[in-house]
Amino acid sequence: MPWKELTRLALSTLWGNRLRSFLTVLGTAVAVLSIVAVVSVLNGLDRFVSAQILTTGTDVFTLTKIGLTLDFESYLDALKRADLEPEDATFLRERLTLADAVVARQSTRASVSRQGRDAAGVPVWGVEAGYPEVGDFPLQLGRHLTATDLAGRSEVAVIGSHIAESFFPHEDPVGKSLRVAGHRFTVVGVLERRGGTQDDSKDDVVIMPLSAYRKRLVRRGSVEILVKASEPEWIADAKDEASLFLKIKRGKKPYEAADFDVLTDDQVYGIYAQATRLVYAALVGIVSLSLVVGGIVIMNIMLVSVTERTREIGIRKAIGARSGHIIAQFLVEAIVLSFSGGLAGVVLGALAAFLVERLSPVPASVQAWSVVVGLLLAASVGLFFGIYPARRAAQLAPIEALRYEG
Amino acid sequence: MTDREQRDPRTGSESPETAAMLGSGTRTIGSSLVRMEGVSKEYVVGDEVVYALRDVDLSIQVGEYVAIMGPSGSGKSTLMNLIGCLDTPTRGVYQLAGRFVHELDEDELARVRNEEIGFVFQTFNLLPRATAAANVELPLVYGGMPPSERKVRTRHALSLVGLTDRAHHRPNQLSGGQRQRVAIARALVTDPSIILADEPTGNLDTTTGDEILAEFRRIHERGATVILVTHEEEVARHARRILRIRDGRIESDETV
Repeated sequence: MPWKELTRLALSTLWGNRLRSFLTVLGTAVAVLSIVAVVSVLNGLDRFVSAQILTTGTDVFTLTKIGLTLDFESYLDALKRADLEPEDATFLRERLTLADAVVARQSTRASVSRQGRDAAGVPVWGVEAGYPEVGDFPLQLGRHLTATDLAGRSEVAVIGSHIAESFFPHEDPVGKSLRVAGHRFTVVGVLERRGGTQDDSKDDVVIMPLSAYRKRLVRRGSVEILVKASEPEWIADAKDEASLFLKIKRGKKPYEAADFDVLTDDQVYGIYAQATRLVYAALVGIVSLSLVVGGIVIMNIMLVSVTERTREIGIRKAIGARSGHIIAQFLVEAIVLSFSGGLAGVVLGALAAFLVERLSPVPASVQAWSVVVGLLLAASVGLFFGIYPARRAAQLAPIEALRYEG
Repeated sequence: MTDREQRDPRTGSESPETAAMLGSGTRTIGSSLVRMEGVSKEYVVGDEVVYALRDVDLSIQVGEYVAIMGPSGSGKSTLMNLIGCLDTPTRGVYQLAGRFVHELDEDELARVRNEEIGFVFQTFNLLPRATAAANVELPLVYGGMPPSERKVRTRHALSLVGLTDRAHHRPNQLSGGQRQRVAIARALVTDPSIILADEPTGNLDTTTGDEILAEFRRIHERGATVILVTHEEEVARHARRILRIRDGRIESDETV
């Protein structure tokens, strides 16, 4: 029998048993939902994190007191290290031969307010002049911070475009003032809107001279030192050079272990990618489990269905249906069943992704490949778990099947 | 008692040529449409062998109208199942329309049923969710006929039993007589060698039953071979030849 007719037959049979069909496919639906939702959220997270991390160039590395670690003990050890100070950055700037720019940066989160508007937890950076060289900070309005701002501890700031929109709607922020953690800062520049993602997090930033930052916001604490290698291919040598000089500055012998960490964006991203892989592994586990459970439910219900329809099978065989016809009928029914579950899962997964996108900064969006994989898996489950019931149906002896009183 | 007398074929009411012309199949080689020799069907129950059918010799010609009669447990249902290729004998030779059926496997039997046999059952055995037309069309679907041709054949079969206007009704929207007519149309639609009816009036009132029997008579008059299984004398009397079965053997074979 042609597939189109078999599919129509399966649909009408399953529709005749709506509630049961619905309950049968829940497992498959949950599995596909998980695939679609988790993949879209992870993908969104991926873009979110990339946007957060990869604001610096590939030729930039960071010297930091505490690097990335997934090991709690080494984290505790790192806490005992001496802070990196702005003087360390100055020391390096004067000596490094393979670097174009050395910039100390310190960051925190603070409240920002102006004329009754306020926002809490806004990322605030204290930076040294030259910061535009170690990252991607195109200006939309005004000017960048200068060495003069640094030297004068000027209470001035460059703000992200989203801060500008939020606090200065319909007006030019340059020259106007803004309170950061209660202190008045004058806006001298506005950054261009960055990145193509829908979140505003990259544009939610207030950048001020490190000197003013340490005077008004955070007096102490470790800075991180961003170093831009003169050429991207020199980055390894530049890292060695910077490490060596920093050790010397901090009173260590060159052969001693460093009491700081050197990070590149690749490494940061690597740690994140590792975490993502763990989530994917967990996803595979959850999905396999729910697919198997869903498949067993489908098999079970198909077996019940075969028993209930023994007489129908008998009739079909009596008028000339061969084993292949019966197998095809029940297999298609199982596949249509699980595939419908898959479709429901796709819809629910897309809904979940939409909610995440709306309610969180993660730009979750449904990935076509996850939909395809989900539906293929769903259909395969129907195929695999439908084989046994279909064979059972095909093996029924026609006379006994005809005699069956359902 | 032996069945020897029944080995010789009874003269059919029509010659094979007429039957061929009338479309009941040209596949017969020689004279017999149904030819059984020494056919037995035995079951092992515990350590006892029970014969449902014992050493049956039978020959039915193209165009005959045969009634198989007998009380329940006589073996008439078994005989019907064997003739209809729903079951295979444990011993003996069965040739249907020239084909040795006793040696076929399940799928080959299904093909033979599809091509050679049109079943009509006591309980109609229509698919409840399918329309009358879809029920009638189904054997053609399994026969692999293209859809356009199927539609034509289906419409024709329904018109033969006077149900053209009921084509899109489901069985539960039809009366018992109409349902049985749909079943008859389904049996006719493949133009089979044999129409095999198992107590076709058993679930119908007398009037409707008579109408259905009249239907079979018309089918027979158009040249088809009809085999009717029944336990009712009046029903059997519609046929031209009556086989009486008892204890798994053919007890008598008479032409009316």
